[in-house]
Amino acid sequence: MSKRRNLKKEIHEKLNDEVLRDALGRFAEEYPVAREKALENIEDVETLRESLKSMKRDSVERISELADRFEEEAIRHGVRVFRAKTGEDLKQYILDLCKERGVKCIVKSKSMASEEVELNPALEKAGIEVKETDLGEWIISLAGHRPSHMVLPAIHLNRYQVSEYFSRELDKSIDPDIAFMVQTTRVALRESFLNADMGITGANFGVAENGAIGLVTNEGNGRLATTLPRIHVVIIGYEKLIPTMKDATPILRLLPRNATAQLMTSYMSIISGPTPIMVKGSDGWKEDKKEIHYILLDNGRLTAAHDDIFKEVYQCIRCGACLNVCPVYELVGGHVYSGHTYMGGIGTILSAFTGGMKEFEDFNALCIGCRKCTTVCPGKINIPDLIEEMRIRSVKENGLPFAVSKIFDVMTNRRFFHGLLRVASVAQKPFTSGGLVRHLPLFLGGMTKDRSLPAIAKIPLRDRIGDVIKKIEKPAKRVGFFSGCTMDFVFPETGENVIKVIQDLNMEVVYPEGQGCCGKPVSATGDVEYTKKLAMNNIEAFEDFDVDVIICACPTGVEQIRDYPHLLEDDPESKARAKKMADKVEEFSSFVAREYEKTGRLKKAAKKADAVKITYHDSCHLKRVLGIYEEPRKLIESLEGYELVEMQDADRCCGMSGAFGVQHSNLSIPMLTEKMGKIKKTGAEIVACACSGCMVQLQGGIDQQTPDKKMKHIADILAENIKDQKAI
Amino acid sequence: MKRTCDNWQDKLPVGKSGIHLYEEFELRAKNVSTEVFHVKRADEAGKIILDIVKETGAKYVASVWCPLVEASGIVDELKDNGIIVYTEQIDIAENIDITDMGISGVEFGIAECGSVCQDALAIETRLVSSLPPLHIAFMESRNIVPEIGDAIDIISGFFTEGYVSWLTGPSRTADIERVLTIGVHGPGRLVIIAVDEGMDGGAV
Repeated sequence: MSKRRNLKKEIHEKLNDEVLRDALGRFAEEYPVAREKALENIEDVETLRESLKSMKRDSVERISELADRFEEEAIRHGVRVFRAKTGEDLKQYILDLCKERGVKCIVKSKSMASEEVELNPALEKAGIEVKETDLGEWIISLAGHRPSHMVLPAIHLNRYQVSEYFSRELDKSIDPDIAFMVQTTRVALRESFLNADMGITGANFGVAENGAIGLVTNEGNGRLATTLPRIHVVIIGYEKLIPTMKDATPILRLLPRNATAQLMTSYMSIISGPTPIMVKGSDGWKEDKKEIHYILLDNGRLTAAHDDIFKEVYQCIRCGACLNVCPVYELVGGHVYSGHTYMGGIGTILSAFTGGMKEFEDFNALCIGCRKCTTVCPGKINIPDLIEEMRIRSVKENGLPFAVSKIFDVMTNRRFFHGLLRVASVAQKPFTSGGLVRHLPLFLGGMTKDRSLPAIAKIPLRDRIGDVIKKIEKPAKRVGFFSGCTMDFVFPETGENVIKVIQDLNMEVVYPEGQGCCGKPVSATGDVEYTKKLAMNNIEAFEDFDVDVIICACPTGVEQIRDYPHLLEDDPESKARAKKMADKVEEFSSFVAREYEKTGRLKKAAKKADAVKITYHDSCHLKRVLGIYEEPRKLIESLEGYELVEMQDADRCCGMSGAFGVQHSNLSIPMLTEKMGKIKKTGAEIVACACSGCMVQLQGGIDQQTPDKKMKHIADILAENIKDQKAI
Repeated sequence: MKRTCDNWQDKLPVGKSGIHLYEEFELRAKNVSTEVFHVKRADEAGKIILDIVKETGAKYVASVWCPLVEASGIVDELKDNGIIVYTEQIDIAENIDITDMGISGVEFGIAECGSVCQDALAIETRLVSSLPPLHIAFMESRNIVPEIGDAIDIISGFFTEGYVSWLTGPSRTADIERVLTIGVHGPGRLVIIAVDEGMDGGAV
């Protein structure tokens, strides 16, 4: 498969797949509630997640030692162990074993690793009958599909489609009645269980200290596959190894709760050594010992284990929680948002190791970076950060596409770039076509019927500051204002309001004109070199002004500047200068809230009778990176003219996320529409947020979908409510 | 009969496990559709099981030995009622695919999740608890540990070789349209008979 994927086309198809959309839409709504409920009787979920994470980190640190011990213990108990470096090795081992033992029929319990190495086709080619016995896996094997979810492999199909596959397989008409189809499965596969010569299973964990494996299932197929056939083959990836039996506890407490919102799955078995089986010979039934093989699969896993950054993927216990809360997965499912085998954000990283960089490159752009997954991942994996890191490696390996590097050439030449933006404000049209647009900052992208993208302002903020900035007598602080491109060129009025609110705190504002793009649109592509140039430009722009603090009213800008020292760490001098800037940067709403608090202005105001309803949208990065979500709400509630009404899922991504919103407008718009629906339900007149990126998106949605509402940045609201308007 | 551990009773954490956890255990077990019956003496199980036999029309039962099964006298009671009961390993193996009901014992319950832990090393134990559509498990009501971690600690204390299973409600799937459906490959019903009468002769 050397052809590049046509992601746009794939996305388009899935967006029109009503069965999929319906299934995933309902799941996305129901899962978080069910998960929350399943976690109710855990006293301290955070501590438990932390213990899982540290146990898995410790395991990967000494993976070679664990693997050796696991192998040694297993052999001691009579298990045969084979280490498969590649999928080919694994398949050859099983094929040889089948030949030697005369295996004709195999029953399989769920194993993603076997999907990864395409085991079934290899066995079938050799004339061996292979039956997937997990209902979902059986369905997709009949359909000829790949799993679209790690836990619910057939979530993309409905009962009618399943009944068709069943009817075809069983050669009789099967009613699309779910209970009946489940019973049909029981009967059909029971034969296979009773006749099989070999059972193949995965493992949810492998214990180094005693060579045992743990198997977690709901249907009972795992117990049957390990009880009836005379040979048991376990396919286990290195990432499943844990040091001791006791280390299974955090896995067992978190896996079922996160995967299926169960406190425990129906069956959990711990197996070690050859267990008894019954064999029927010419002289009747006799008890014998089962023959057990462990295949320890590498296929890229050890490369990840020995990588300082990517060893983090070992914290994954394959629960699928990250998929269940992912807004992009909800829209396109696990056939599009996946590589060869693994889906979603975590799948993006796993694919780079099990399938290679090309597989990663084909679909990594689908991570919108909203970080919702990081709030549920039981192993606390920073999935979006790992994806960004992998993008950096991919650019280092293969470079940027030519067109993109041309654009970055433009963007890193600030004067030229800003000149272009000014021209765009007069003649916006020429910039809305051609290859450039997709990669330029979001506000140069096109329009759709459900979202208008804001025009470039006639006068950017940088040309207005002279009128806004006032001389402050004995200022409490000297504040540098980093506006970011969007506030500068799209929402200059908001920029003015930021200045007014700060000046109202009796602080002096300076706006270094040399400032430019924070670098996020560039670093998001994985490029480091252009990002460094943009960072240095801003560092230079600010270091001439001796400011006490640097305020940015856009969370991404704050995050980006705080990352400058890390970005420039190769050069100690640049790093030191970057650190100076990074240490000073603060996010606007939290800064103002703290200052208001000091003077008693933050306390909740008594509502006026005619208070205006306002709802607040949490920007992904403001909440999940900077941890700021209380402050903006407190600021709103400190004003007597507003009544704060919460929307459902206020912290769900609006669909913008920088260039993503333009590049993948077909995904961005449905996310926006969902958000607008939730906004409408609140009955609020005003939608507030504290992020200029979200503002672009929400403003666009309001224009097209709810023109009666107003979009405001927290700075706009605060500035309007400053008592002495003349003074500002 | 092969066992992973010869004396589970001794492995339970003194002071931590006990009948005080029964209520929580029962609640959690029932939440996942386990049918739970709480009786004082093992011989009270007879009526419960015979009722289920009547209700389901079960004709063939496979039962593996455990002290509570023996104390309940259920095997003889079933036979007296015309039910065919397989108790020997080879009979169980031969007939398990036509068996309507399996009876076995479990070692302890876990309050946190309503699971029961079974020493499943003996092949006959696994057969009766995983193939028939209905599985009845005897448990001492005082043998309940608080959390999953306590259960793992017990197993961790001695486990080197064997087969241990936790059973939590009936076999289930949600693989078609996420509709919860019971009885895929394992038993569609799990019945737990929790007995107060201690098997070492002591009262609870």
